[in-house]
Amino acid sequence: MTSTPNPADITPRQVANKADKQAFLDAIRMTLAVQSPAVRHNTQTFNRNRYAATARLADYDELKDRAREIKRNAIANLPELLRQLEASVRANGGHFYLAKTATDADRYISDVLTRHQAKLVVKGKSITSEETKLNHALEAAGITVAETDLAEFILQVADEQPSHIVAPALHYSRERITALFKRKFTTDLPLDTGEELTVFAREKLRQQFIAADAGISGANFIAADSGSLMLVESEGNIRMTTILPPVHIAIAGIEKVVPSRTDFGTFIELLPRSGTGQPLTSYVSILHPPLKAPPFAAPGKQPKAREFHLVLIDNGRSRMREDSVLQEALRCIRCSACLNSCANFETVGGHAFGGETYSGGIGGSWEAGTGKLLNARFSELCTGCSRCVNNCPVRIDIPWLNEVLRQRTNFEQPSSAAKSMFGAMTGSAGEDRVAPLQKQFFANYHTLARRATRFASFSNAFSRLPFVRGLMESVVGLDRRRKLPPFPNETWEELYRAADWRGTPRADLPNVLMLADVFTNYGSPEPGMAAVRVLREMGFDVELSAPLPDGRAAISQGMIATARKQANALAMLLLPHIENGKTVCVLEPSVLAMLRLDNAHLLDETIWAKFSQGKFVEPLQLVWSANQDLAGIFPANRSPHGKRVFYHSHCQQRTCNAAGETLEVLRACGFDVVTSSVECCGMAGSFGYKRDYYELSMAVGEDLFAQVRAAEHDGPRTLVASGTSCHEQLWAGMGRAVLHPAELLVSALV
Amino acid sequence: MQPAIAQPALLEQFMTAAIEAVATVQVIERSPAALRDAILQQVRAAPRILFAPPQELPASLFSEFAADPRVLANPTPEEMVNSAAGVTEAFAAVASTGSVCIDISFERTGMVSLLAPLEIAVVAAETIVAQPRDLFRPDVLGGRGLQRDFVFVTGPSATADMGPLVRGVHGPHKLHIIVLR
Repeated sequence: MTSTPNPADITPRQVANKADKQAFLDAIRMTLAVQSPAVRHNTQTFNRNRYAATARLADYDELKDRAREIKRNAIANLPELLRQLEASVRANGGHFYLAKTATDADRYISDVLTRHQAKLVVKGKSITSEETKLNHALEAAGITVAETDLAEFILQVADEQPSHIVAPALHYSRERITALFKRKFTTDLPLDTGEELTVFAREKLRQQFIAADAGISGANFIAADSGSLMLVESEGNIRMTTILPPVHIAIAGIEKVVPSRTDFGTFIELLPRSGTGQPLTSYVSILHPPLKAPPFAAPGKQPKAREFHLVLIDNGRSRMREDSVLQEALRCIRCSACLNSCANFETVGGHAFGGETYSGGIGGSWEAGTGKLLNARFSELCTGCSRCVNNCPVRIDIPWLNEVLRQRTNFEQPSSAAKSMFGAMTGSAGEDRVAPLQKQFFANYHTLARRATRFASFSNAFSRLPFVRGLMESVVGLDRRRKLPPFPNETWEELYRAADWRGTPRADLPNVLMLADVFTNYGSPEPGMAAVRVLREMGFDVELSAPLPDGRAAISQGMIATARKQANALAMLLLPHIENGKTVCVLEPSVLAMLRLDNAHLLDETIWAKFSQGKFVEPLQLVWSANQDLAGIFPANRSPHGKRVFYHSHCQQRTCNAAGETLEVLRACGFDVVTSSVECCGMAGSFGYKRDYYELSMAVGEDLFAQVRAAEHDGPRTLVASGTSCHEQLWAGMGRAVLHPAELLVSALV
Repeated sequence: MQPAIAQPALLEQFMTAAIEAVATVQVIERSPAALRDAILQQVRAAPRILFAPPQELPASLFSEFAADPRVLANPTPEEMVNSAAGVTEAFAAVASTGSVCIDISFERTGMVSLLAPLEIAVVAAETIVAQPRDLFRPDVLGGRGLQRDFVFVTGPSATADMGPLVRGVHGPHKLHIIVLR
């Protein structure tokens, strides 16, 4: 073992750049040890508030469509919009500068301020200025920079990078802020409450607002037609920064430009609700500077005329625009919904799940786009759980961006004979055989599982041997603390063929092709058998498909060529059934998401056009749709497991809107059901098995385990989950068996 | 487009949302005396009151209030930053969010509505619109929202950066809205 520093001694700055793998792993340890409680509390509050706030928007989906279309258009016409914007700003009497690089932007701003002999600058929150490291440049020019957003103020005092795009210091608890301020300032104030800390910072900053020579703000949106800015905040510091000083400089990325001020109408509804979950933040300023009203005339200073500079930075964005995948990220309106709805982010925050400036699911694309691909290493923490997808106000498929980043990172790896041979043996597509052994191992899970189930009792005994676990840990990074679920003696396919199925199909119910997904087929055939039994009992005509991989395991490792090969082969198998009008039923929700969503990226266009017409459902959706007397067929009081149930739906099942029916069915049968409210269990396929992420995975799971314990305060409940990984995670965390909803129904069969 | 909502319903929705946003709201009769009484009741013993004269509402409506000796007609910079209350008109209000829209294109309005701990906004009931997006439509309120520099103000300034939610940061600690019937 190498000696590793105590996590509490690691500073965020030391681990900001994730190009260094050790920094990334240290960042995970540090955030879990130090920041996790505050990050959890704050992100989960935003997350709950966002669900409530967007539910109150009657036309949420239409607004998202419109927002996406506005951004798509804007990015497509960006060069023209920038020309128009420049003309608008100049016509308003302002100055316009388009900076090619971060350094150009910093130099321009520094020059403007030097020309004004500025000594003190107040700054509103601008993450873009973190990207350019503006403060360093200005301080080098002898200018004092006062960060006035209280979160940025904390970061400036602590010398840390932001950990969240909307609330950059949300990794700080009140107690840690008190400790920080007491260490850095001499004051008689007790600083023991949020109020006292706020009063202390406010009074310090009020003096600076009044004395400032210039103000620097960011911009949430910029309208080309009028040179208007939209600025969203709650503290009032951005209003101070833009109204009081005679010189106002706004810095923003070129992707912030939208065609018209009328477009603000769409974003003002979506941005605050998607971010903090407020209908509106306290202040939203709509300005086309320079303002006509005179600036604040500080006592003893010469009155000055207003001056406005709009500094737009490119810094890699034009390259992103040319990149067919990364250009999606330019649509991002930086609301933070993808951070707050992400179970991994909720647990570690942006100091682990983020780079020097940008963080969270979308952050990898930004760090790669404005810096280097390797800086995006933290995007490995995107498990593809897809919870962010429906919450993104501009509908960016964030998991897909991260899968592509992963593929590009794989391609940068040197090839080796061992990797090629392993890849060829296990089924990697030719170009994916450069991927690390671990990735190829998990991507080709089905090949290994297929072999292992042939000799299940040997495989199970063999894989339990300590030296084998040690070898698996060192070669493919499979954490030895994870108990491996045993391989079954017979696959689902074998059990299905051997079973004696009763029941006469009913003509009024759809014909069903049950997909023998590889996770159920080779890993846990019992839920599969139960699902077939339930559907047959109800009168569905069910047939089981051949077991074929679907691409899920491969895509999650960034092995897109392999995923593409598998997805297309599976589509060939399914298409004739789809064209015959069969309903395809999928037990494993991550595979259901594959067929419904991910295949849009993987299937050849003509195949996708036909394939996407198919009906893909989860078994309990079929049960519910049959509209039968469920309490008569599966009466809960007959189940030996009892009526009390804790149900955890799968992340991708919820994204596919395929979870609600399970709850309806269980309740209709008479079960007393408590459900989880976590975004993801933390296992997420292979993620929780990896040595590097085991602690994180278990920390994420702890939220779920705590909810089980809370639900059992008045007695035990049967654990029920729909996803294979959720079963394994609950099994690991609670130490007892977990049923699939179909198994619970079978147990209650009359 | 949203269906047109009757004005009384908008007022009711506005009041509910504004209170949810931790503003206080009162509806008064549209007269100089009623307005003076309503404002002075809020400022109580404050020694100095900032006031930015209205652009939309008739100046005469504010005449009785403006006659109060504590109202500063031409505040010095020191007085600007050391007054207890700031009074401005709002040219619009938003029912779904409880916001008032303050035009800061004019002399001092931006600072008057920002620097004092108590912000008092006076708005005419007929200028309440349904949603924030309505301010960006050319056919609403004569398209003012597309022409002016303005701020949507929703409740007092606030932060959660210091741990718990704290109201009253750099901007006003309290927002009182007076709606003119």
